[in-house]
Amino acid sequence: MKRALASAVALVAALAGMTAPAFAGASPINLTSKVFVEREIVDSSGRRSVVLEQPSKVVPGDRLVFVLNYRNASQQPAARFMVTNPMPSAVAFERTQDGSEEVSIDGGRNWGRLVDLRIPLAEGGVRAATPEDVTHIRWFVPQTLGAGSGGKLSFRGTVK
Amino acid sequence: MKKVVFLSTCVRLTSLTAAAAMFGIVASPAMAAGTLAGTSIDNTATASYDGPGGNRVDVPSNTVSVVVDELLDVVVDSANPGDVAAQPGDAAQVLKYTITNSGNGPEAFSLVANPAVTGDDFDPSLVQIVIDSNGNGAYDPGVDTVYVAGSNDPVLSPDSSVTVFVINGIPTTATDGQRAAVELAATAKTGSGAPGTSFDGAGEGGGDAVVGSTGADGSDSGFYIISAASVALNKTATIVDPFGGNQPVPGAVITYTLTATVTGSGSATNLAVTDAVPSGTTYIGSSITLGGNAQTDAADADAANITSGTVTVNLGDVAGGQTRVVTFQSRIN
Repeated sequence: MKRALASAVALVAALAGMTAPAFAGASPINLTSKVFVEREIVDSSGRRSVVLEQPSKVVPGDRLVFVLNYRNASQQPAARFMVTNPMPSAVAFERTQDGSEEVSIDGGRNWGRLVDLRIPLAEGGVRAATPEDVTHIRWFVPQTLGAGSGGKLSFRGTVK
Repeated sequence: MKKVVFLSTCVRLTSLTAAAAMFGIVASPAMAAGTLAGTSIDNTATASYDGPGGNRVDVPSNTVSVVVDELLDVVVDSANPGDVAAQPGDAAQVLKYTITNSGNGPEAFSLVANPAVTGDDFDPSLVQIVIDSNGNGAYDPGVDTVYVAGSNDPVLSPDSSVTVFVINGIPTTATDGQRAAVELAATAKTGSGAPGTSFDGAGEGGGDAVVGSTGADGSDSGFYIISAASVALNKTATIVDPFGGNQPVPGAVITYTLTATVTGSGSATNLAVTDAVPSGTTYIGSSITLGGNAQTDAADADAANITSGTVTVNLGDVAGGQTRVVTFQSRIN
């Protein structure tokens, strides 16, 4: 009951966009970043399978999988929850796990679905943005992160 | 009519590739080396949400880092535009190659030239491998550095190239039209082998070195083609005596005809025909012709002259399959 009430208060505060009771500790939201490298394994009978390994050896062309785990460790929901990940400059974005992301191709100034983004060309006109153009990724899922809940986001990229 | 065959001689040629060697290398498109070995890929995400006070709160994640290891790759390309023309017995014929580090770290490469490639017509003899140390794309004897394996193995930055010359002798037994391959191989000093082979801790910056798709071992062949020319010179004489006959009597006029015939796939360079006016005869002034065209006796702009009793006709470069005809006259004393 107390929990539900706290949620309602936080939500109201978020919607109103104004001051609310200061419950929270320093960082009630945990976000952890991990990276793996994708390897294709061919077994003795020639079957191919893809495994994720710790990235102890990485060379250009390798495919990396970045995994972000988030959890709301507090007693209050976090409203307008968003995770942003700037692409490391040596990694070319490929795709996310579920396509739920928004991306930026201009350093985080403008955002949208990749299919909607256009890049102006020097000789005039535009071209469709490609995954390699992506500079930032962000997710709004879920919009409000309930107390005690969490989840996982991931995206793939190739080492340039 | 007397017919005298004087001589048949073989004329050596200069290489047709001298002009080609003056031009710089056309840089072959290198494979992109990609992110440099030792680069750290750092990823940090940020979560943000509306905090209890209504203000936005940003929470950074931990930073995960991956250091890019060294990829070992090399590409060797023959840099001659085509087969290099050579003649039997040439002591130092040059083949040109480019070696490109298509990996992502600076790497030294060892070089091996193999003139005994199977399946060709003859085997050149390796003289030396020379590195284009002044980078002008042309072989400069005495200026460019002679390669000594293990001592001055070329070290290349990622995506950069070096030109290497392989100097070979051509056996005297090679014959016109024969072709020979010389293979140059470059191998990454750190290691080579099947793609994916790893040399732990041997990479640039202390990381690992991993063999790339080229096997860290590249090779390509350059080719010689024997382009020789032979010159046959034939001399005939016809006599017209003052009595309408053809007897060699005093006052009779002898017309000498010198026919130079070039055969082979090459050309005879700076070919000259010389013949002494026979003793007991007197040269008839302005009687020299070349291809039916009159020549002056002086050493001047035209091809012919007579000096100290010797007729000289400079024919220049004459390609295989062509013939030049020179005539002159003298009168029996």
